[in-house]
Amino acid sequence: MRTRILTFTLSIVICAAMHAELKWEQTTVELHPAATDKEAVGHFKYQNIGDKSVRFKSVHTSCGCTAAQTQKDEVPPGGKGEITATFKIGDRTGTQVKTVTVDTDDPVNATTVLTLKAVIPQELEINPTFVFWRQGDAATPKTIAIRAGKDFSVKQLKVTSSSRDFETKVEQTGNGQFKIDVQPHETSRNMAATLTIQPEGSPKTFYALARVTNAPAIQ
Amino acid sequence: MKFSLVRQALILFALALLPGIGQAIYFRDKVSWESPVPASEMVTVAQARAWGGNAIWIDARPDVEFEREHVPGAVLLNEDRWNELLPQFLATWSPEKRVVVYCSSQSCNASREVARRLRDEAQLKNVFVLQGGWEEWLEKK
Repeated sequence: MRTRILTFTLSIVICAAMHAELKWEQTTVELHPAATDKEAVGHFKYQNIGDKSVRFKSVHTSCGCTAAQTQKDEVPPGGKGEITATFKIGDRTGTQVKTVTVDTDDPVNATTVLTLKAVIPQELEINPTFVFWRQGDAATPKTIAIRAGKDFSVKQLKVTSSSRDFETKVEQTGNGQFKIDVQPHETSRNMAATLTIQPEGSPKTFYALARVTNAPAIQ
Repeated sequence: MKFSLVRQALILFALALLPGIGQAIYFRDKVSWESPVPASEMVTVAQARAWGGNAIWIDARPDVEFEREHVPGAVLLNEDRWNELLPQFLATWSPEKRVVVYCSSQSCNASREVARRLRDEAQLKNVFVLQGGWEEWLEKK
């Protein structure tokens, strides 16, 4: 009887001691893509330091702009691997934080949230990116302020308007700072223009918009 | 015996409280139950619908999801192709209209980002984020 109790207790202890555990090298990755990069890829490495296999149940991302891929569905004891998270930069700017939620059959750490932080360099700060007049407003100029981002040097700007209905005038206001005065020739009708802003020597093009909208509705 | 049990319970309670306090201090700026978007900038499906033709709906989801299905009359504006899509949206925009931005669900962030850029970069007013996003809209259809 005593042997049976001992065997039972031991089997419980051994079962409890056997565990699956994914150890992540890092759960946060910070990336600094170049201004012209289209995507940023983060690698999250792991190892199963337990003595049972770990199976991935699901991997999903916080944004449609990020895709995550596992190399395998199951990780044997001692097995290593990585999850790659590919973030599509698109026309995003500034610091972007995206997460990847990994669900496994590990009863202790079933869910792990991986964080991908991408610091996208901002070559130009344009403020505002849109200026408008209502029909009937005075056709006075409106100003768009431009400032070169940190770590960027902009000596000259070329601004072109897609429509002759708007005139633009560029003026340097400081080191890496400019102002664009935008003026419609008239405000008697609806019209719009895309302003293409090209810093000298930069492969990237920036945009601002100007528009004359409808007159305010008479109440 | 009774005293010992109470003491043990108190010790356990104190031990359980410690990580809680630590977390509250460490994440004091990220209170989980607080939305990063102020309530005044959020709008429910019912409220947005009540605005009728005075609202412009913006779909902030990726192109493929928009192409599959979207709120009737919604304009596509996502950050994947912001520079290309923004002029198309601004061509339909009018200062009197409210702008309602949505993405897939309650947990997605794209609508908040698009709304933020419209307010900060384009300096538009009356920009709202739809609570619950596309999923909520479908449910209340």
